[in-house]
Amino acid sequence: MSYKWIGAIFILGSCGGFGISLAVHQKNEEKLLCQLRAILDEMLWELPFRLTPLPELVRHGAVGRKGILPEVLLELAEQLDRQVLPDALSCMNAAIQDPVPSFPRLHRLLLQLGHSLGRFDLSGQLSELTALREQCDEEIRELRLGRSDRLKSYRVLGLCAGAALVILLI
Amino acid sequence: MICAWKELLSILPQRLRGQLAAWEDSLLELRLRLNRPVELVLSRESRWLPETVTQEDLSFCLNAASRYSPWSAATISQGYLTAPGGHRIGICGEAVVKDGTLAGIRTVHSLCIRVARDFPGLAKNILFRGQAMLILGAPGWGKTTILRDLTRKLAESSTVAVVDERQELFPPGFPTGKKMDILYGCPKPQGIETVLRTMGPDCIAADEITAPEDCQALIQAWGCGVRLIATAHAAGMNDFRRRCVYAPLRESHIFDTFLILHRDKSYHMEELYP
Repeated sequence: MSYKWIGAIFILGSCGGFGISLAVHQKNEEKLLCQLRAILDEMLWELPFRLTPLPELVRHGAVGRKGILPEVLLELAEQLDRQVLPDALSCMNAAIQDPVPSFPRLHRLLLQLGHSLGRFDLSGQLSELTALREQCDEEIRELRLGRSDRLKSYRVLGLCAGAALVILLI
Repeated sequence: MICAWKELLSILPQRLRGQLAAWEDSLLELRLRLNRPVELVLSRESRWLPETVTQEDLSFCLNAASRYSPWSAATISQGYLTAPGGHRIGICGEAVVKDGTLAGIRTVHSLCIRVARDFPGLAKNILFRGQAMLILGAPGWGKTTILRDLTRKLAESSTVAVVDERQELFPPGFPTGKKMDILYGCPKPQGIETVLRTMGPDCIAADEITAPEDCQALIQAWGCGVRLIATAHAAGMNDFRRRCVYAPLRESHIFDTFLILHRDKSYHMEELYP
């Protein structure tokens, strides 16, 4: 009997935990998008002022920041410096590491960034970065819209699913 | 001899890099033409690599040479690009013309990569006693190489300001002179004026005087107590006298020393107003 209850608590806990982790994941994605936005801002200030070459520009965005996004940018700068791949998009594809694809909005924006980098003259590049920043803003706005309700519902759904499983199994 | 060979290889597609090792000492130019084999121009002959050049190869070269940063390679609109190591890439293809001037190259069809080499000590026997020296020679005869070593020699004892518009004279890795100040990437007219006003030079050096504005800048700098050294495209004194663009220089008589280069890399000097 006591094993049953211990098992039930485990199921309930893990389902609740899953719901909570979904909520945390969403929060993390929002944080990463805010970080990307700040990096895009810096690139937009730096580029017209110093006409910084792309590897330095990307590295500059990563300096002083922590997390997976700066890691991706540092790897992108490395790839660009190696001069093996034909364009910035290929370098970005090679630089994107494992946790990034689990954040679909961030993944999409990074691929778009890779696609736009190094293809235009200064004014074209600035327009592309500005457009990307606006898109980033839009993604953040969408994530924030009804955020607290959604996060609460993830947690509650997790717990409910756990409870349902427990009832079914017991 | 110094050559930024690693930098040269880094701007080439990977499949070509390994095949150039045998020509490290003798390669003068590398010519890549769309759908044609790669031409290696050596000191006395041309060799051909079996690989056919593709559009991707040409794009790769330009991307790598500009470090994937077209905005920092504004000279593409003038039909060339200086790669890391000072190697100059000439570009041909489908031109984009805006308001009657060349604005860029839409599709690249050919690249001519000139390998930059430095020969320290090359100018040790050249004695520059005058106030202004002009080095004359046709493309590929060694004007930039001589100018580089001559300015380096002068910079051991006097302050030399180098206006290195194309970043070919002293790319990173090439030794500079002890008392040398280099202004990179600035057009010659503005550059000459800037170093004259701000760096207090004994001598100003500039490569490739090709436009009337360059001539005017030299004329303005002359007479300020500063010595001048420059290079110009002309296969001898007769060419120099014939070319209209150099008329202001001839009429102002600012150059008293001419170093005339020959095809076989020898040279002779003419001092007009000793």
